[in-house]
Amino acid sequence: MTTIREVCVKINFSYFINNKKSKEMEKDGLELEITELRLGLPGRDVTEKMMKKRGFTEMIMASSGSNSEQCENGLVSSGVDVEKVNDSPAAKTQVVGWPPVCSYRRKNSCKEMLSTKVGLGYVKVSMDGVPYLRKMDLGSSQGYDDLAFALDKLFGFHGIGVALKDGDNCEYVTIYEDKDGDWMLAGDVPWGMFTESCKRLRIMKRSDATGFGLQPRGVDE
Amino acid sequence: MNYFPDEVIEHIFDFIASHKDRNSISLVSKSWHKIERCSRKKVFIGNCYAINPERLIERFPSLRSLTLKGKPHFADFNLVPHEWGGFVHPWIDALAKARVGLEELRLKRMVVSDESLELLSRSFASFKSLVLVSCEGFTTDGLASIAANCRHLRELDLQENEIEDHRGQWLNCFPETSTALTSLNFSCLKGETNLAALERLVARSPNLESLKVNRAVPLDALTRLMSCAPQLVDLGVGSYENEPDQESFVKLMDAIKKCTELRSLSGFSEVAPLCLTAFYPICENLTSLNLSYAAEIQGNHLVRFIQFCKRLQRLWILDSIGDKGLEVVASTCKELQELRVFPSDLHDEEDNDTAVTEIGLVAISAGCPKLHSILYFCKQMTNAALITVAKNCPNFIRFRLCILEPNKPDHTTSQSLDEGFGAIVQACKGLRRLSVSGLLTDKVFLYIGMYAEQLEMLSIAFAGDTDKGMLYVLNGCKKMRKLEIRDSPFGNAALLADVDKYRTMRSLWMSSCEVTLGGCKRLARNAPWLNVEIINENENNDLMERNEEDEREKVDRLYLYRTVVGARKDAPPCVTIL
Repeated sequence: MTTIREVCVKINFSYFINNKKSKEMEKDGLELEITELRLGLPGRDVTEKMMKKRGFTEMIMASSGSNSEQCENGLVSSGVDVEKVNDSPAAKTQVVGWPPVCSYRRKNSCKEMLSTKVGLGYVKVSMDGVPYLRKMDLGSSQGYDDLAFALDKLFGFHGIGVALKDGDNCEYVTIYEDKDGDWMLAGDVPWGMFTESCKRLRIMKRSDATGFGLQPRGVDE
Repeated sequence: MNYFPDEVIEHIFDFIASHKDRNSISLVSKSWHKIERCSRKKVFIGNCYAINPERLIERFPSLRSLTLKGKPHFADFNLVPHEWGGFVHPWIDALAKARVGLEELRLKRMVVSDESLELLSRSFASFKSLVLVSCEGFTTDGLASIAANCRHLRELDLQENEIEDHRGQWLNCFPETSTALTSLNFSCLKGETNLAALERLVARSPNLESLKVNRAVPLDALTRLMSCAPQLVDLGVGSYENEPDQESFVKLMDAIKKCTELRSLSGFSEVAPLCLTAFYPICENLTSLNLSYAAEIQGNHLVRFIQFCKRLQRLWILDSIGDKGLEVVASTCKELQELRVFPSDLHDEEDNDTAVTEIGLVAISAGCPKLHSILYFCKQMTNAALITVAKNCPNFIRFRLCILEPNKPDHTTSQSLDEGFGAIVQACKGLRRLSVSGLLTDKVFLYIGMYAEQLEMLSIAFAGDTDKGMLYVLNGCKKMRKLEIRDSPFGNAALLADVDKYRTMRSLWMSSCEVTLGGCKRLARNAPWLNVEIINENENNDLMERNEEDEREKVDRLYLYRTVVGARKDAPPCVTIL
């Protein structure tokens, strides 16, 4: 499945429609709106200012899946800020100041806090059946063995470490979400690569893991 | 005309506290005007650019308490450039020079500098209370001057400010002789706190009723603080992400048990559920609970706690509580007056099944007869639900509904939400503040203009079809004071229809609408008593240098307000005052 990101990378420029009253038309009193096709790079010129009431609906539809078709046709609805589509396939275009939550609250809502911490090696760790999330510093572990030990300690449960080492023999699997938003089985890639790309960890029951959509294991298999 | 000597009249006036009433009194006669203004101690200025400090001081020489508001409301949502204005320094400067006996200063959305705070701390010997809400521009150095120099300081309340934390020793700057503190709130500080200094300060402040600490105060410190301040009424806790061990937990619970006066709890950012549990002993006494920063506490834990809070009057919570959780609130909190439900998932990162819907709102309206203020972020709404809510709760004073997706219709009928909001304004005769959202046509504004007789503040986003919508509101709502509109198709016709209307209003905000530069210029010409500000963040800012053809250019952001002192001199380049 191509992600929105990949589709947009293929396109070097985008057409966008700019509704503008023609000055000549107005002088004749016709007040007709003509559409003006312009070539331009996505991003800067396409500001939320171009969004009229209906424009927002177009934008939301465009960014949630039908985007790829529209991109390929070369037509992007006014108001879509293609530049803002980031690595996460779930990201929607953000309207400035919407929803109307004050900036202090945005900055201090827990999720914001945690996402800024990722760069420092802290990741969220959740375990199925446990009602709260933990955070741990990947940087404080030296390898998968260390990680196994740390996870065991975090949740007070001794099965996790076994899962990492033994692979197929225990109740739980440890998976992680990487920078691309894909969920991968922990333990496959070299440790350094793992710490760089791991955004969060999840300890999942093996029975739930099948059909979860894990990315296939590496070439070594 | 006066049958009583002035002193008697003044004494009678002392009983009248409300600003509106005092303003009315001053209009009765010349002598009443004089008596009133000379005896007035508290002044509220809703827009710091409507008047200047010199005129304020001239009129009210006995001023003791001043409240000032700066930036427009939409500045909260990053719609106003950083450098727009709202500087408090000229005010403090003028008050200092005139030797006003200032005791209280309350600021909202203003720019405050360390120099201002230093000047404040040195200029008013009786200064008692500083409350800063959503302000910025200062650091902990400024706080240090307040702490050090305001010998009679009782209240230092910092709410949601952007403060640069120099990790200095500002708490140490309170002299040992300072024992008068009743309220200390530094929850918005990001840096480390000198715990020893804090504990000493709390220990020597027997009158301390309100204490709100920041993230950096760990659990054991909180326990010690509560132990030496069992008289606390209002507590804001810090951040406790790790579950406490058995011993710490027991100590915390013991300390909490002793706080029998505790009525209000807040803070709780990044809190492990067990820490919340520690407050079980006193939760039956709570009248106010703010868990709106506790994103990590799952809904069921929240609900378990709230189940015991039978006396709650005010609840701020995240939508992770879910409709089911709100049903529990409805059946438990019969004294509830104010509810705010904030969105927990601002970037729509996860499939959010636990966000709230119309079901939760209806449940609350049915279960809480005293409810009068609501702020509700939800993912969907129906007309039927709003009509039911209106029937259940005709006493709303503030009704703010934010459906997260703009233009979203009634999800069962696909119609606009005009009828639902219409029902609200028709039933709630005392409604003073309203925010609308979802798919809305001009009709909803017809209803608002027709029924919302007491409405003072209206917030509109992505709504309406034509200028008629805005006109219904301007013509109908006689008590309108603040109107703020974004991304709606209202233009010059509505803006210019009744220029005198703006004499009766504090301000009007319009962004991403259809008003043009020409329209704004015409308005400014016809209303010299208005400041018509155009805010543009584009590269070519020189609106005045453009030729006449650009009159048709749509205005990005328009902010207009009545003023008696003309155009302000401190506007940045991105702001043009017509």
